[in-house]
Amino acid sequence: MLFKKLFQLLVVGGAVIGGASGCSTASSSQQTGKSSPSPSGSATAGSSAPAQGADAGVQGGGVSGW
Amino acid sequence: MNPEVRRRAGEAWAFRSRVEQDAARRFRRLSGVISGFDAGSPVPELLQRAAEDEVRHAALCKALAESYGHAAFDAVPEHPIAPSSLDARAAALYEMVAACCITETESMATLATLLAEDAEAPVANVLREIARDEVAHGQMGWAHLAREAERTGVAFLSRFIPSMLAGAAAEGLFSVADAEAESPELLRHGVLPHSTKKRIFVGTLEGVILPGLDRFGIDTRPAQAWLQERL
Repeated sequence: MLFKKLFQLLVVGGAVIGGASGCSTASSSQQTGKSSPSPSGSATAGSSAPAQGADAGVQGGGVSGW
Repeated sequence: MNPEVRRRAGEAWAFRSRVEQDAARRFRRLSGVISGFDAGSPVPELLQRAAEDEVRHAALCKALAESYGHAAFDAVPEHPIAPSSLDARAAALYEMVAACCITETESMATLATLLAEDAEAPVANVLREIARDEVAHGQMGWAHLAREAERTGVAFLSRFIPSMLAGAAAEGLFSVADAEAESPELLRHGVLPHSTKKRIFVGTLEGVILPGLDRFGIDTRPAQAWLQERL
């Protein structure tokens, strides 16, 4: 029950605050290798993704919490 | 009070004070970065507010640590957690997912679990005050992820989620702990016994974080494999 409530509160609630529909659009199509236009029509898909082949390994770190 | 419980409680609150200080710096910095490429987002303002919250939380945690006879940990210099190959926008998304979608979401589950217990009054007061703000701190990560999922690609994060989880999981979380780490008396002082902590971490991962990432198009199979290797 705790986890269901947290999902609604944080994930669904967060998407509402972000003004998004709450489900993937551009990211889903990127998984299939297709480009995806922004809502305004300009092609921005992939603009923030890493360069192909520049980061083959899993790197990076995480953040300690409670 | 059992001296070992006192020591563990002091250490936990001192560690939390440092975690909150780190979060304040990270949120302040990310606010500036995100406002640079998403002027219409509510997230930068939320991050600024969260940074102020975290400074206050750090002081509350430090005071509790000291009440258990434990000095606060020294602040550590901030180091980047995003892979260097990511550009600024992707790195900001990486950090928001790691810090908020994962760590703040886990922290919220920990707080909710502790609040359901019968804690000492000073501890309960601090838990309640922090919990009020932590909801927004978790939400802002999901808010940013939702916006980025509609504007640009987020699927590249999939392979990085295990690294984020490794950094978020407390040291020794998946190991067997000694009897003192399982003492139910810890709950009265705002600390989860080891097995409860592990159960909440895994439950939050499986019930909130992974379904949330899936919802926004991030393949969670690498994260699920990471978890299965540890259970």
